[in-house]
Amino acid sequence: MREVPPPARFAVLLPLRLHPPRPAHADRSSGASLFTLRTGLALLALLLASVAVAQVQARDLSVGVVELLIKWTPLLAKGFGFNLLISALAMALGTAAGLLLGFARISLLAPVRGTSWIVVQFFRNSPWLVLLFFVMFLMPFELHFGGVTVPFPDWIKATLGLALPIMANFAEIVRGAVQSIPTAQWEAARSLAFSRRQTLWQIILPQCVKRMLPPWMNWYAILTMATTLASIVGVSEVMTITGRITAAEARTDLLIPIYSYVLLWFFLYCYPIALWTKRLETRYAER
Amino acid sequence: MHNGKSLQRKLAAMFAGLFMLAAGAGWAQVDTMASIKQKGKMVVGVKADYKPFGYTDPAGKIVGLEIDLANDIARRLGVAIELVPVVAANRMEFVKQGRTDMMIATMAYRPDRAEVVAIPQPYYYAGAATVFAKKNSGLKNWTDLKGKPVCAVQGAYYNRKTGEEFGAQLVTFKGVTEAMAALEGGNCVGTVFDTTFFAGIMGDAKWADYAMMVPAIDPEPWGLGVRKEDTKFAAWISDVSKEWHKTGFVLELEKKWGIPQSPFLLEQQAKNK
Repeated sequence: MREVPPPARFAVLLPLRLHPPRPAHADRSSGASLFTLRTGLALLALLLASVAVAQVQARDLSVGVVELLIKWTPLLAKGFGFNLLISALAMALGTAAGLLLGFARISLLAPVRGTSWIVVQFFRNSPWLVLLFFVMFLMPFELHFGGVTVPFPDWIKATLGLALPIMANFAEIVRGAVQSIPTAQWEAARSLAFSRRQTLWQIILPQCVKRMLPPWMNWYAILTMATTLASIVGVSEVMTITGRITAAEARTDLLIPIYSYVLLWFFLYCYPIALWTKRLETRYAER
Repeated sequence: MHNGKSLQRKLAAMFAGLFMLAAGAGWAQVDTMASIKQKGKMVVGVKADYKPFGYTDPAGKIVGLEIDLANDIARRLGVAIELVPVVAANRMEFVKQGRTDMMIATMAYRPDRAEVVAIPQPYYYAGAATVFAKKNSGLKNWTDLKGKPVCAVQGAYYNRKTGEEFGAQLVTFKGVTEAMAALEGGNCVGTVFDTTFFAGIMGDAKWADYAMMVPAIDPEPWGLGVRKEDTKFAAWISDVSKEWHKTGFVLELEKKWGIPQSPFLLEQQAKNK
């Protein structure tokens, strides 16, 4: 008998194993190194250092930078809460619309497939800020339904504007996930008399959720950071408020600490998401 | 699977909304005063980042000289007030659309602006600009700025003059604090901004080496804006404004907010006596 060949070279001859078992600490390798706790702590130290330097420089002035940051924290927190609200709503909208659009992308009807392809390409490849401007200036500030006037505030418009790229990107995630399920499953379901809709909802999609979750969370983190774009179109979110604070204080030494402070908030919110995403990716990949 | 269609429907709804907006603007009643009284509140566009005229306090409230003026108008009408933060780019649009009933947002009078919104006279304030630079910078006149980098703040009316007439290379920033930080960092020879702002920081030890180096350019009157079509409301605002000057109300507010006394206000007080 011949020797058993090393599995790496003739993997195709072995029983199907989509993902070879990973060595311990696989998530520490290459690309993952950005996400270590050490890098996070280093960033934190950098931010604290900038505050400390400003504090020392401010010694000849009446109020220190730390006191100023504390004084404005409640207002900043309100602004940041607004960013989170916008991100959550935009994500919900974008996910719902993206799911539909993703289905359209795998439709059996060529015109639906074609139209959705155009929509996806358009919104995926447009700068977010440009989309935001479009929505801000195209949409009215209030809607009239018969005699009733419903206000349509800026932040809702911004939410819609940010939901558009999420929709297109999530549609691609849905399409990719559905297509990543082996086609044999479709054939098997068909032979068991499942309709296409039943196959999709009861067999394919439940398996897709796991595959879609990490990239979906990734997009959520990106979206959260992108909500600061809304400051450019006049929404009173955290960056707008930071600008107002620097105007109210007129202290040049406050600039770097306060922007670092805001950055820290985003970091503390998005970094755990990144870690969690990484962990889910690793866990799902091992199955 | 019907998403292609639903999307078309969405787009159609969006355009329908646009047309409604356009149509609505056409029908909109131009009696601002009546509509304010009917709503029970007046919506005013103000600055939230321009100390001490309109800025944010730590509680998130917008305060300042212009807000006091707006409050006075609401008090006269006997209605509540809603402040909407605006920036130079949208302050006139909001009035035009009817989103705000009035705008009082550090806007200097210019003929082309009076084409868009009605700017009732007499104007409530006048601002002058100068260049704040190091005492040893050698700047004496505006013409000395030619070809030199000068820090400026986005949306200020004298930027154009500084850049085009005097040939300065403008380096513009979002806010005055950012512009001052750039001046400190040596990114420009001086910062062009309101004299009132520089007067406020002159006492700081930090700026001891700096001064207002060029003569202030002619004060430009600041006006509030109301809808162009509504001449009745504009005329009423004119009367209020006259009274402000006559009674010295703006002069009082100027003192309250620690702004150096402007000759314009004294002039107006004498004129409207």
